[in-house]
Amino acid sequence: MTERRDLAASLATTWFGAELSPHARAAFLDLARVADLPPETEMTREGELTTEFGLVLSGRIALRLVVPGRGRTTILTVEPGDVVGWSAVVQPYRATSTAVTVGAVRALLVEAVALRAALRADDALAASLYPRLLETLARRLQGTRLQLLDLFSGQIEGAW
Amino acid sequence: MSRPRLGVVKFASCDGCQLTLLDLEDELLAITDRVDVVEFPEATSARSKGPYDLLLVEGSVSTPEQAEEIVELRRRSAKLVTIGACATAGGIQALRNVAHHDSWRAAVYPEPAWIESLSTATPIAEHVTVDAELRGCPIAPGQLVEFLTATLVGRRPQLPDEAVCLECKRAGRVCVVVASGEPCLGPVTRTGCGALCPAFARGCYACFGPRESANVAGLRRGLVADGMTAAEVDERFAGFTAMAPAFAATASKAAAAYREGTVAEPTTDRVEVDDARR
Amino acid sequence: MTPSASMTSTAGSAAITTPSAAEPAFLERHDLDALIGALQAGDRRVIGPTVRDGAVILDEITTAAELPAGVRETQAPGRYRLEEGRKGRTFDFTVGPMSPKRWTFPARVPIGTARREAAGTTFTAATPDAPPLAFLGVRACELAALDVQDRVLLRGPVADQDYAARRRSAIVVAIECTTAASTCFCASMGTGPEVRDGADLVLTETQAGFVVRVGSDRGTRLLEGLPVRPATEAERDEASVGVAEARSAVRANVGVATTGLPVRLEAALDHSRWAEVAERCLTCGNCTLVCPTCFCTSVEQVSDLDGVESTTQRAWDSCFSAGFAAVAGGTFRSRPQDRYRQWLTHKFSTWVEQFGTFGCVGCGRCVTWCPVGIDVREELAVIAPPPRPSLPILSIPAPVPADGAWLRSARILGSHRETSDTVTLTMAWIDAPHPRPGQFVMVGLPSFPAAPISVSRVHDTSIELTIRAAGPATAALTALPTGSEIGLRGPLGRGWPVDRMYGRDVVIVAGGIGLAPLRPLIDTIVDDRLQFGAVRIFLGARTPRDRLFTSELSAWTEAGLLVDETVDRAGADWLGRVGVVTHLFDHSERIPEGTIAAVCGPERMMEATADVLRSRGLTDDRILITLERHMDCGVGLCGHCQLGRFFVCRDGPVFSLAELGDTFGREGR
Repeated sequence: MTERRDLAASLATTWFGAELSPHARAAFLDLARVADLPPETEMTREGELTTEFGLVLSGRIALRLVVPGRGRTTILTVEPGDVVGWSAVVQPYRATSTAVTVGAVRALLVEAVALRAALRADDALAASLYPRLLETLARRLQGTRLQLLDLFSGQIEGAW
Repeated sequence: MSRPRLGVVKFASCDGCQLTLLDLEDELLAITDRVDVVEFPEATSARSKGPYDLLLVEGSVSTPEQAEEIVELRRRSAKLVTIGACATAGGIQALRNVAHHDSWRAAVYPEPAWIESLSTATPIAEHVTVDAELRGCPIAPGQLVEFLTATLVGRRPQLPDEAVCLECKRAGRVCVVVASGEPCLGPVTRTGCGALCPAFARGCYACFGPRESANVAGLRRGLVADGMTAAEVDERFAGFTAMAPAFAATASKAAAAYREGTVAEPTTDRVEVDDARR
Repeated sequence: MTPSASMTSTAGSAAITTPSAAEPAFLERHDLDALIGALQAGDRRVIGPTVRDGAVILDEITTAAELPAGVRETQAPGRYRLEEGRKGRTFDFTVGPMSPKRWTFPARVPIGTARREAAGTTFTAATPDAPPLAFLGVRACELAALDVQDRVLLRGPVADQDYAARRRSAIVVAIECTTAASTCFCASMGTGPEVRDGADLVLTETQAGFVVRVGSDRGTRLLEGLPVRPATEAERDEASVGVAEARSAVRANVGVATTGLPVRLEAALDHSRWAEVAERCLTCGNCTLVCPTCFCTSVEQVSDLDGVESTTQRAWDSCFSAGFAAVAGGTFRSRPQDRYRQWLTHKFSTWVEQFGTFGCVGCGRCVTWCPVGIDVREELAVIAPPPRPSLPILSIPAPVPADGAWLRSARILGSHRETSDTVTLTMAWIDAPHPRPGQFVMVGLPSFPAAPISVSRVHDTSIELTIRAAGPATAALTALPTGSEIGLRGPLGRGWPVDRMYGRDVVIVAGGIGLAPLRPLIDTIVDDRLQFGAVRIFLGARTPRDRLFTSELSAWTEAGLLVDETVDRAGADWLGRVGVVTHLFDHSERIPEGTIAAVCGPERMMEATADVLRSRGLTDDRILITLERHMDCGVGLCGHCQLGRFFVCRDGPVFSLAELGDTFGREGR
């Protein structure tokens, strides 16, 4: 189907998908559906079971944490080519932040349970997807560390 | 525009730091023109419940009552500044922190039960947040004036955290360690006094407390290499700022040696400065 | 000065002959007072050696009786003792804790005053108060030290006026060493014990007196007034033998292997010995303050209680104090080993590249006067043992000539609040060269230390300074109303090399206040858009409210520049990107060949950005950054902003990563 070929092409150009093996990309597409999500769609909620693993094709998703007394703070935005819902394949499969679409978003979504089953059954898929996921998380970890250092705050401590 | 309200309070202390403020003489008058001194035990019987724009605190916390009072004073102060070795390091009375407080109390007072004191004398910063410190025993008049000037003008006070050695060398003094083998804690002590003691050919005894990066272990090794015993060196640290964190371990060793009766023979008193050295 | 009666008693010579300038003369020991008297002409004060507090120090002397006759010293690491010297000798010692620096570069010197009045604020430079001096008994190593300080303080782009006045007016009477202490190593540093030039008169001691050579016209004139006669051959021989003995004594000491030392040291920055010496080092600063070449100073403010009148003083400082390299938010050399490394590598490595000579003259004072006896010779032998294949020394770029004038008043024409802690001041700017993109100015208020602030925009007769309130001085600046006056000095520093960017693609990455020094670069690009290729701007800020110059982004986009922004965190109302600025590159393809990147922000952010740019194919010579350091003078004289062989204020603040090499990002540099 042309639609599927188009999807395969899109997947191959995304940051996440480009480094997957062709087999992994095909397996992924077998499980995936394209979703067009309106703005303000909540895709995951912090603390609850993650139902879907997604790859953003266009648009932006904000990851937010609730801080009592401060409200919802966006700590990262997921851009085209990046993944949302990695907790779907990492125990305990609960979302670590609330993911909300900022504008309209088009994404490739895979149902969490199905993806986990496929990873258990298909070694080749696992051998390609897990390392890529690890790289994604490593990149986020490094980014988070720099954010944590709060480098842009220059205020010195103390009364003077 | 109302003048800033200045308060000076004391805890367990000798009042020497308050006297330094009074010793400012003319500069004191200029200062009192610009601030409202609402409390200052050595100078006036006026008492205030606060609030204070600037509160100078002398003395360490030595009784249960003081421990409560300092918290209350902190609440009423916009800026709280500790002055002197007692307030910043516990003072010489903090030596009781590593000794037998009860037995001393019993030995000194005929009715020890009447004396309510804590077993430790602690610096103010262990009880409340402190905004700035003026070190020294007593504090240096020059630093006090700089501090008050900076506060009135709005700039950061110039209270350098550097070794006494720098001021000694700027003043052209000859190092007593190198030229006479005299023990001196200048390299680990924060400057501010103008390197006063070495001007009289005696080594610094750290009344301003430890500076940043104080290398106590390194200085100990150096003084022992110069001929002092380890016990003599440790004793040098058991003085007015004995319980400052950088010095406490060393001072405690001296205190333990004292308790065990293994205190070192005192070194020759170098009060006389012989003519050849003048 | 009339010759004394002793002239008539010269043995072996029928008539009194005045020695010519080329022939050595001889001064009897008992005529030293005549020499001192001659030096005192014109109310000149004589500074010479004398004993005090157990050492031979330098002080004003009026008679020869005050000289340390019959005294010598033993010196060892951390130890100095006076003892009885050879009978009849006046200068039988080497050097004590003081050097002539104490008078040519005094410990505290007023450098200016500021006065704030209703009519305006005036900043006045202090006129050097240099009483004429004569130094008696200057050693070869000290002459070398004076030359070293001349290079630093007189022959750079900006000269220190106070030093210049004191140096010019001083007479120098040198003494050649005829003895050596165990801590002397002048011979291995090539500075002694023989005196070559730099003195007006050179004396070499013998048993009966002094062989005297002239070293300058002033020396010749001095000599004419002294009771001297030609030196006999025997006297000249005795003098040479004395110096030769000193030379063998020095040569017998431990020395320093200087061949290729700068490069060897630079290659040893990760040696394990640095941590080991740091355990012994007290970071007390004694070595730097006895050193005759150390020139680092700090600036102190002495003000009245109202902040109306203040005096600025310059005081000796030391790179061994943590505060020396401090900026708002921390210090660059927090560990003692960083500071020891800074000192040793400056003296023996980077100094050579900065000034063409070693900073050390081998006088040995730092060895003797270290309370724990750390010996630089020993440390160098371990850290940088004798020669390995040499690496090329990178040449430093020519510094941009700086406007060395004292702070001049400038009026604030406008004040605009950018964010909760950042304000842009518009200053009148006349009678000075237009700041180039990336240059900065030193900004001061009476009673406050001056601060380096980047110029964030240039107009015909005004400039803009974007200032973040990070401490009391900057807070005071941001609170100033329109019409106030502040002090400015500049423009200073080396800015962005715009000419290297013509015809190329440009990537600009700014974090937080880092956009301020980049804005003039962006202005230049927008004004001359066709001269540049594709231009992309990546901006990072803490939160949406902390973004700078938001109203200009659309103008930049309209001019054809691509602008991408991100913040570290945001509320739910922010619809833009959240994440670190380096993520803005994540999905870019390889950056085109020949692109130049200009990066400014917190250093850690610049490091992360440099890593990403390199991984996208940019080479270090095309990655430009701008650095922040503690600056007191802004013109390379106070020493605070030193980074390896560079002075950030004068050689930077813009650098390419290729110039910096692994100095950038190295902890504690």
